[in-house]
Amino acid sequence: MAAPTRKKKKSPGKKSEATASGAQLLSVLNDDGSAVIGGDPGLAKETLLSLYEWMVRTREFDRRMLMLQRQGRIGFYGPILGQEAATVGSVAALDGEDWIFPALREGAAALMRGLPLREAIAQLIGNEMDRCKGRQMPCHYTYKEGHYYGMSSVIGTQISHAVGAAMAAKIRGDKAVIAGYLGDGATSSNDFHAGMNFAGVYRVPLVMICQNNQWAISVPASKQSASETIAIKAEAYGMPSMRVDGNDVLAVYQATRQAAERARRGDGPTFLELVTYRRLGHSSSDDPSKYRDEEEVKAWEKRDPVDRFRRYLSGKKLWNKAKEEALNQDIADEVNAAIKAAEAAGPCAPETLITDVFAEPTEQLREQFAQVEEVNREQTGEFPL
Amino acid sequence: MTIKEFKLPDIGEGIAEGEIVSWKVTPGQQVKEEDEFVEVMTDKATVMITVPYDGVIKELTCKEGDVVPVESVIARIEVGATADSPAASTATAVSSGVSSGTSAAATAPAPAAPVSVPAPAAFVQASPGKVLAAPATRRRAREMGIDLHAVKGSGPRGRITNEDLSGVAAQPSRSAPAAATSAPRAAVSLPAPPPGVREERRPFRGMRRKIAEAMSRSKQTAAHFTYVDDINVGKLVALRTEAKQQYADSGINITYLPFIMKAVVAGMKQFPDMNSALDEAANEFVVKHYYNFGIATDTEQGLVVPVIKDVDQKSIAQLALELQELAAATREGRVGIDQLQGGTFTITNAGNIGGLFATPVINFPEVAILGVHAIKNTPVINAAGEVEAGKVMYLSVSIDHRLVDGATGARWMNVIKDCLENPTRLLLGSV
Repeated sequence: MAAPTRKKKKSPGKKSEATASGAQLLSVLNDDGSAVIGGDPGLAKETLLSLYEWMVRTREFDRRMLMLQRQGRIGFYGPILGQEAATVGSVAALDGEDWIFPALREGAAALMRGLPLREAIAQLIGNEMDRCKGRQMPCHYTYKEGHYYGMSSVIGTQISHAVGAAMAAKIRGDKAVIAGYLGDGATSSNDFHAGMNFAGVYRVPLVMICQNNQWAISVPASKQSASETIAIKAEAYGMPSMRVDGNDVLAVYQATRQAAERARRGDGPTFLELVTYRRLGHSSSDDPSKYRDEEEVKAWEKRDPVDRFRRYLSGKKLWNKAKEEALNQDIADEVNAAIKAAEAAGPCAPETLITDVFAEPTEQLREQFAQVEEVNREQTGEFPL
Repeated sequence: MTIKEFKLPDIGEGIAEGEIVSWKVTPGQQVKEEDEFVEVMTDKATVMITVPYDGVIKELTCKEGDVVPVESVIARIEVGATADSPAASTATAVSSGVSSGTSAAATAPAPAAPVSVPAPAAFVQASPGKVLAAPATRRRAREMGIDLHAVKGSGPRGRITNEDLSGVAAQPSRSAPAAATSAPRAAVSLPAPPPGVREERRPFRGMRRKIAEAMSRSKQTAAHFTYVDDINVGKLVALRTEAKQQYADSGINITYLPFIMKAVVAGMKQFPDMNSALDEAANEFVVKHYYNFGIATDTEQGLVVPVIKDVDQKSIAQLALELQELAAATREGRVGIDQLQGGTFTITNAGNIGGLFATPVINFPEVAILGVHAIKNTPVINAAGEVEAGKVMYLSVSIDHRLVDGATGARWMNVIKDCLENPTRLLLGSV
């Protein structure tokens, strides 16, 4: 695989519309934190600071959740270290009414849409505060009010869901655009072809956002596809695409904004390949040192999205050490309080075992539940129900 | 002040146990949430666990190098305490030093505070009289006619699992279900050395422990028998000497091993059972129609078995080159996980060290392992019945008698012998 520094071209930051070839890499931030000439999207100060704050919050949340997993306090966790810009930049560029169909590493999108931190942590625990009532695997948040769709684990299925929703939005004449996320691994799934094909044919209001983090668990991008890039795959479906520096929050923001506007105008779907890197394991159960070189990880650390954006803000005199320390403290307190609140919630009531599948639990379900309760009575306090 | 037990969490979705690699705290130490606590190695990864509470470390209940089941208590933390409070000063240390790494292990553990790892069977049942079991297990027990009160559970808090029931059913007599769960063998503890002599203690963990586990499992499961034959390799020596010179310029070191690998494939084509394994769970005998040979390789860390794939499809020169590259990679520790997996048969080559023959231990669950030994100058009797100076090599094969009988093993060895004594057969192949 090419080292990240080789991927960066010197002056690709032109504000072009999505190109059909998708071979060029859109980048705004230079490594020193300056913006490439003519590339700065000129966002308002509040927007810039909000992007940064969300990236820092996402990182701290991620760090603490992995720690809780190691301590046995949550089930498992899929860390996103190094990919903060991809989620934060793309979600910030959408309108609040737009729907998000996430894959594994877009949990921060739910938080940005208003899912309280404590409820996200409760989801990882699977207790009574969890909207999924402990029935979903950890990291599979859901937040309907924030137009954040509950994720299905199966690779690539999110694509069909997103395209279906976009077709529905078009039929109903909604203003909402659909943002459908996927990883590099999902581009090898059947759903990728079916979804991309439908999206292209029906010109649906969709932004497909592929976080190409170079690794699908242990499969490197080089073994995922023989295509030169992932972005060029969109051409086969008659869909314009852009290849974007995924560790550059401004480039991600700008590309998503353009794609969403295009969809809103009725000009159809756009495919974005966000080139980034998964610095930790696929999940808390994975050990990447068994299949990849530490040197590769180190090379990508130098392109850390948070550091790069902080340098940009400092260069614009919008950020300094005092602000950094205050923000870190605030967020640490916020996360700590959320952990406390989430852990204070009790387990889900045993009755929830049989609810929600049918409007009324069936006779058979009630009978089975009575048996469970009987066993529970026999072993009061010893059977964890 | 409350004392909280810290149980080893399932840090990798369904792991059974973890090895304590290193403690980052000592008893009596004041800790904060997020401080480094303990490094644990599981089947999947080595991970750092951080301290979950502010407080004082009261006790560490296991030592570095111990392998502990998930959900067993590995430490106790006095939550909210400070290091100088009276309660904290009574913190108890584990028998051998925990803070100073491997060097601490050099001192023999004091016998006063032995720490035994709680093996699954050692869990005490929650309360006498009550039996813990899931409804499905209860039903199965009813169907099997097993009284749950007579079964010792291996699950958390003594809960009876389906496996426990299978264990009872597997016993010849149900009248003695107490014997159903085989008690783990008590660990042997060595006394401190007598005064005046020196002993060295090294941690038994990591690769050494993995090798130990694999070897014990093989010896305890496979019914080993070893068959040895001598091979008159006069012609092979001549052929190899010539080949070595011819390939010298291309940087390929032609050794005897590729010829032997090809001969083994020829033997397996005639006796496919020699390239097989037993799927115990499915009760099926799996014959492999691909030929991936593990080559037991001696490294500083211990035995490593990299695999050469598709031996049947490669030329002798290709095999020689691949062996050369793999050996270098293995010794330099560059060998990838995919190069250590997928073997169907193993060859162990002790020829360059010495010896006559050996009784190799099968690389379980493969069915057999071939030991290759030194070529020696030995008198042989030629076709005319005269004694002449010859070159003879021993081959030893250990076979799992559960799957392959002696006669098959002997006939298989005869094919190999024939190929190596008449190496033109290797070059021309079979019809």
